[in-house]
This record gives sequence, structure tokens and C-alpha cells, in this order.
Amino acid sequence: MSTKYDAIVIGAGHNGLVCAAYLARAGRRVLVVERSNYIGGAARSEEVFPGYRFSVFSYVVSLLRPEIIRDLELPRHGLHILPLESTLTPLADGDYLAQWSDHDQNRRELARHSARDAEAYDEFGTLMYRMARAVKPFLAMTPPDPASWSLRELKGLGRVGSSLRELGPAQFHALHKLLTMSAADYLEEWFETEALKATKSASGIIGTFQGPRSPGTAYVLLHHYMGEIDGVFRAWGFAKGGNGSVSAAIAAAARGFGAEIRTGAGVERVIVRNGRATGVALESGEEIKAPVVVSGADPRRTFMQLVGVEHLPSEFATAINRFKFRGSSGKVNLALSELPSFACSPGNGPHLRGAISISPSVDYLERAYDDAKYGEVSREPYMDIVIPSMIDPSMAPPGQHVMSIFVQYVPYDVNGGWTDEKRDAFGDTVIDTLAQYAPNIRSAILHRQVITPADIERMVGLSEGNIFQGELALQQMFFMRPVPGWAKYKTPIEGLYQCGAGTHPGGGVMGASGRNAAFSILKVAP
Amino acid sequence: MKGEAAVVLGVGVDELVAAHYLARAGYAVTLVSERAEAIGDLLEPGWIPPGVVRDLDLARYGLRVEQQDPWAVVMREDIALELSVDMAASVEAISKLSAADARMWPEFCRRLHALAGALQVLYTAPPPDPLARTRRGFMQLARSAVRVRRLGRRGMEDLMRVIPMSAADFLDEWFENDVLKGVLGGVGVMHLCQGPRSSGTAFNLLHHHVGSPPGVFRPSLSNIRAALAQRRGLDVLIAVPARIEVKKGRATGVVLKNGETLPASVVVSGLAPARTLLELCDPGWLDPALVRAVRNVRSRGPAAKISLVLDRDPRFTTLVVAPSLDYLERAYDAVKYGRTSGQPYIEVVSLGAEAAGRYRVQLHVQYVPHALKEGVWDTAQSERLARAVIARVSEDVPGFQSWVIEQHVLTPDDLQHIHGFPQGQHYHAEMGLDQILWMRPTPQLASYRTPIDGLYLCGPAMHPGGGIAGAAGANAASVILGDRA
Repeated sequence: MSTKYDAIVIGAGHNGLVCAAYLARAGRRVLVVERSNYIGGAARSEEVFPGYRFSVFSYVVSLLRPEIIRDLELPRHGLHILPLESTLTPLADGDYLAQWSDHDQNRRELARHSARDAEAYDEFGTLMYRMARAVKPFLAMTPPDPASWSLRELKGLGRVGSSLRELGPAQFHALHKLLTMSAADYLEEWFETEALKATKSASGIIGTFQGPRSPGTAYVLLHHYMGEIDGVFRAWGFAKGGNGSVSAAIAAAARGFGAEIRTGAGVERVIVRNGRATGVALESGEEIKAPVVVSGADPRRTFMQLVGVEHLPSEFATAINRFKFRGSSGKVNLALSELPSFACSPGNGPHLRGAISISPSVDYLERAYDDAKYGEVSREPYMDIVIPSMIDPSMAPPGQHVMSIFVQYVPYDVNGGWTDEKRDAFGDTVIDTLAQYAPNIRSAILHRQVITPADIERMVGLSEGNIFQGELALQQMFFMRPVPGWAKYKTPIEGLYQCGAGTHPGGGVMGASGRNAAFSILKVAP
Repeated sequence: MKGEAAVVLGVGVDELVAAHYLARAGYAVTLVSERAEAIGDLLEPGWIPPGVVRDLDLARYGLRVEQQDPWAVVMREDIALELSVDMAASVEAISKLSAADARMWPEFCRRLHALAGALQVLYTAPPPDPLARTRRGFMQLARSAVRVRRLGRRGMEDLMRVIPMSAADFLDEWFENDVLKGVLGGVGVMHLCQGPRSSGTAFNLLHHHVGSPPGVFRPSLSNIRAALAQRRGLDVLIAVPARIEVKKGRATGVVLKNGETLPASVVVSGLAPARTLLELCDPGWLDPALVRAVRNVRSRGPAAKISLVLDRDPRFTTLVVAPSLDYLERAYDAVKYGRTSGQPYIEVVSLGAEAAGRYRVQLHVQYVPHALKEGVWDTAQSERLARAVIARVSEDVPGFQSWVIEQHVLTPDDLQHIHGFPQGQHYHAEMGLDQILWMRPTPQLASYRTPIDGLYLCGPAMHPGGGIAGAAGANAASVILGDRA
């Protein structure tokens, strides 16, 4: 069977593109096929309203692995990251809590709320920094299979064991606690300022269907601490031109290595013959052959839709079916005629160049979760707001602005299902909540785009709108992501691989899954 | 060591077990109990490791173990579900609610029982230490690993998945019927300040299954305390300890509130770790990091105990009021904000007839906050709680409220003051995944040793934790005797 391609990658999300780039760099002839007319998957920029550009879905960069930036020379391909310097948490009593990347400024502000917390902050930061460093090597690792007796797997397991033991007691136990505690309980051990605990624990709930008091959320907190730009830990930033530029840069690198990318080419199914993937059939009816097929789609879409349950061992199919998605977040993108003016800090100012977090207390977040547990949009949701046009003026016409609001909790399985009315009501809830803190917001809105988890599923193809391609819960991590025994990017179908965030190490615009998958493939078929 | 003096603080099952093990090895043991407690022939829940029964010869002292059968009864005016020790009877009962669930039941029970078997081995020894540097510690770690691997691929995968899961997610994978899931979900949140959708609650279900036959998810009842009281060899002193004497980093005895000093070369405390280390010891002996860790031991007591005397036999063994997982979750929502659940999770355990026309039942009521957001726990609040609970039980068991002739309420606040449970937490430290095995109650203390030579901890705050009768006491004793051999 002579084919034009060595490998076909399904989906031009950032992980698919990273995987394609690494395969192409190793000399493989790679084709990326993408259903939509955009590349980037959930990391895309779009001129949603004429003159206003948005990072429609994912909106900040931080987790993108530095080795990928280096290997693929992304800056040369147009990646330019602008730092995000602060987080402002407006409070109900008219005060605020600001967190600054400048150490002294941050300490002064924190001391205004609690001298004890200002004191504890550095120690906490040091520990988290060490923990993030300790966990980092695991991100770039293909997880071993703990149930296997093969020498190679036992060795891999031994390596994981000894690197854990090398952490020493303080860090090993802190890691255990981070993996098993709730963000709120963990932070409770360190801090007393309610808004600080809430804003920090908010990063622990992003993308999960858990509240800040649910065990397991402390780990996601660490996941968000792993943000790294140019080797600087905990730095978050915007990609100039929106998050689509990240994808564009990776795509440019992939093309530079010879990969081909076709948009508007949706895959109907993966062609499987005698338990082997031999290519893909497009929605247009065209069939493309290749000995290696790599799916960047999430596990449910890959196996239940593209492959088909009839080709799968029944235990594997059961395991894929119980992989949890439960999208919990939505997005509201606004085009604004003027800047929002926050009652706690009126007018323009450096705080508008950073993130604005609507997370006044842990109870506030927990209540937001309570609503969602029983199938309703939070009456007062958690919001993470950025105004990209403040940092990158090219995103909006002069003097005007774009605002990106990440909203949680917005359950995929909303009672009665999603309708246009429900979507509008959700948008109104967001604006009403925001207006409590920034009263001029209503009159400033020129256009509004409201995105529910159902919309994310429809527009990007992420099952149940889960932004991480599957919950980042302990039972769905490391050698259990997506399914125990199949965490090595391989699948029960020979020649079919996975490279999406549904594999280890999971979500965020990180690219590690794509890179690890590429190395696994190259190892099998060098 | 013959004739050396040991003082044991506390009068829980673990302390009694530890004390008897030490006495058996030749120590002169004084057990300091803060309250004179009428033990009677009270039945209390908790699996007893067979080694403890054997070593302390408990059968000879009248040990009675009772497995309630059926172990869970759900009523909705009439009997809605009965789960029995006999597998076929449970399958039959479940099939009336859901044929699919009845088909799943035997396999579910078999898989969980295999996992509980692995835990049982871990529970009857001090916790493995993943960072062990000594040969002995490393061997123990290796043995634990081999035991887990012996579960086979499916068993290991089950174990790794189940431990971090929420009871709700786990049960939803197996069953469709709300009533069945409610009963099992209740076991998953037992004594835990978490709802069934919280991660780690599937582990709590498994924890409470250890030692029981397949298909029984409730520890057996026993009169172990009475049996231990029958066994001779201890000096029991009713007194309140004031401090633990430490000289040159070694515990040398216990000073009582009445001024008396009990010299001892070994002091074993079953009191809560914070009480032992931060109140009874001079914190100057402790590393600040340890002090902080001990302060941070999570011990939120989410449950009240109500004891009732009824004028008639209630005709159930253990009644469960937990009609669905959502019911449990909503009950939990209240306690997060310092309120008592309007519709709480209730278990009513029938303890039999005390006398003609007097039937004792014990109610476990969850969730009840230790600290109320509004108001404080006083008689009026306790009575309001009892009224609401009895009314809720009467919804399922018509007429129940008219049978009550006596009631006695212990709120989490009472449990703290009367029984010394920190914040009313029955297990002294919550059985969260961050506070089990080598993390229980804190990593520095998990070996039952403390930084003070000769001072040891036992009690439910220690591995393997609450709900298991005497294992922590026996494990602590084995460490003490090993150290001093």
C-alpha cells in the first residue's frame, strides 16, 4: 500500500499541531485534517464582530511548555507573549484585593488585609514553586503501566517511585496533600484573608465540576501554578493577536517542517481493517491512507464516534464511556465602547491590564457550585475577566475594547437542556453580576457573544464542552488518563494514537500531550 | 522491661487494647480515664481484627460480635429495601427496585470485597512509609506493594480508580436505583464532612466495608469494651491528666489535675493529637512545623448522636434515611454554611430491649455543624434538632414519634465536651485521603511515635482510623514493644 503520508493527525488544535510539528521535524510526511475553517481548536482568535478580535475560547497562555517553544522556535514563527501583571478581586464592601507580580507591591497590598498573610505568602510561594518544579518532570513523561509485569514497565514505575522518594519528606507530603485536599482546606492552612483564599482556590476549580471545598481541587491549583513563560514560573500572559496566534505559530512551525494542514476537512471516521487503523474517511467521502493515525479529538469523540464501538474491546469501551467530562464553564465575550469602571477602583489604571476575578469569598464560589450541582447556572457565578485590548490594542478599534469573561459554573447538563433563551439568560446573569462591581458595564456593551458548554461542544468538538477534554480528577490522571492501561498515547487499534488533552498530562494550552504522543509514535515506528 | 510502668491516657477501645498488649508484655499499666463510664454491655460498631481477638483472648471474656441482618432497611411506610448478609436475599430485594441493579449486585460486592481484603492487610500493621530508608521499613513497603499487585490488573485498576473517586460517581457507574445508591452513599459520607459527590467518599465506603462479608457495608457491632474490661491486668484510674512530664526529651510520667504524679517510662495517649501534644506537652519540645501540622489536622465533626428509648420494638435492625444521593448532597450543603440539614441523613440502629417495654435505639444524624453560623448549641437548639430528626424518621416509619419515651441528644459540641472528640469528630481526624495511611494524622506522627521519646499515640486519629475497633491500639503496641525490645 503506497501512500502519500506517514501519519494523519485529526484536528488542528494546539496539541494536534504540536504532534504534527514534532513528527514532521523527525522527517515524517504528515497531514493534519481539521473539520472547521479555523486552526487552533479552542486556542483560536476570531474577529467575531467587525473590528473586534477575540480569543474566543481559551484566553491566556502560561502552561505552554518552554521546550516546545524552543524546539519549534515559536517566537520566530510569530509567537509573542505579553505578560499579565496583576489580579484584582473586587469585594462586596467596596474594597478590593490586588495581587501584583511585583513582589514588594504585592506584599504591601496583602499586608493591608492581613499582616499574617503577607508573612505567609512568601513561604507559600516558595513551596508551591518547589512543588511545581517537582511535578514538572512528570508532565513530560509517558506514564508507566503499574499493573504490568514487564521489565520495562517495572523500571518505569521504579523511576517514578524513586523520583517521588527523592523529593524528601516535606515535599512528598505536601504533594500528597495537594493531590488529595480541597483547595479551600489547603489554603486555609496558610491564609486568613477570605478574598485571597477565594481567588487562589478559584484557579483550583477552573474546568472542573467541583467546588473549592471538594477534595482534589488543590491539585488543579498546582496545575495552574506551573504556568511558565520564558522560564519564569507563575507568569501568565496574552499572546499578541489572541490565543489563535499560539496555534498559528505552531502551525507555521509544522508547515516549516513540511507538514500539510487542511481545514474544512472533517473526519467522518477512522478506517479500521483487521484491528488496524489504515487511514481516515472524510465527511466529503474522500479517503486518505496512512499507516499512522493520531487523534487530537477527545477520547469519547475519538473512540465512540470516529472509530466506532464495534472495533473496540468491550472493557475498553466501557472505560471510555465512564470517562467523565461534565463541562462546567462558559464564556462571554464583549465588545465595549469604553473601559469598565470598577466601583472599588474607579477609572482606568494598571489593574485593568491584569485579570479581574469575581471571587469575593470561598462561600461565594461554593454557592456557585451548589447551583450547578443541581443543574442550574450559578446565580452569582465565578468570573475571570481580562481586557486583552488594554495590552494589545490591535484587538479592538482605537479607544474601544474587548473583554473576555470566563464563567463558572455553567453546567453542560442544564435542567431542561440548552436553548437560545437559556443562553441569553446566562449572558444576562453574567452582566448583572458584573454590573454589581462595574456599574457602567451595561451601557458600554456594543456586542456580546455568549458561549455555553453546549456551544463549545458544537463549535470546537469538545465533548460536553469540557475545556480539558475530560475532568482533571485524580482517577483520570497520569496512568489513568484516559483509561488505565492505555495512558501511553497508544490505543487498542494498532496504528491509532491519541494526542489530545484527554491524555496525560491534560488540559490547558500546554502542548505536552501532543509532544509526548509524538515521541511515543516515533519510538514505535522510528 | 518487666515491671516497667506505662500510663495509657483515654478509655477508647484502642487505648484499652494498647494497654492490654503492654500489660501482656509485662508492663505495669495504669489506664487514666477522664470519666467513669458505665460500659455495661453496650454494643458499638467496628470491625475487630482477628489478631486482637486472638492475642487478648477476648472470646474467653465474653466477646459478642453481632452482625445486624438485614444490615440496612429502608422504609417508605412499608419496607422499601432490605439488604441482608445473604447475597441471594439482597439480590431478591434489589430486584424489586431494579432488575439491572440486582444483576450488578453480586459482582459489585465481589470486586469491593477484594479491595477491602487488600486494605485489611494494610490496616493490621503500622502504615507503610513510602519514604522508608530502613531495611525493615522498605521491606514493609515492598510487602504492601506486592499485596496490592496481587489483586491483578483489574483489581489494581479498581483500587486506583476507587480511592480518589466520589461515592456518587462510583455508584452511578454500577447502579441506577436512588434508594440503593442512597444507602451506600450514606456509608461513603459516614463521619466525613463531605457530600457524596466529593472525591474520596468512595474510599470511605470501602473503609467501612473492611472486615465485613461480601455485600455487607456496615461494620459489625460488638461488646468489645465490656470484654476488655473483664480482662484483668490494668489499673484503672478515674482522673484528669494535667500534663505529660518530659525530661531531656523523654517522657517520664503523667501529672494529674489532682497533683498526683504517675511515673512511667512509656506514655500512650489515645486522646486527640492536638490535646496530647499541644495541651498536655510543653510545645517547646516540638518542631514548629509539627505544631502547625497538628493544628491543621482536619477534624470537623459533622454528626450528632441521639439516643432514644421506645416503648415498643421498632421492628427494624438498622433503618437508613437517605433516599438518594442528591438527598445526601443537599444535606451536606447546609453544613458548609454552618446550618443543620433540614433533611438530614439518619441511621437508626436498634440495640434491642433493655427491659420490658424499653427498647433502645441509637440515631446517627448527619450533617450537624459543630459551630452554628447563627446561635450556639444550647438545650433549645438540641431539642429542636431532636424534634426535627424524630419527625423525619416518622415520615418513613409512621407513628415513630409516639413511641419515644426518652431522648438524649449529643450534638458535635457535646461530643467535644463530653467525649473529647475534637470539634465533635468521632474519628478524631477526618478520614480524608490526605489523612489516611502514612499521612494519618500527620506524616510526622504516622508511626505512632512522637518527637518525645517514650510518648506514643494510639486512638482513632491514628492509622487505620475510626470505625475499626482496636487496630490502632494493637499497631501502636507493636511499635512500642518493638522499640523497647
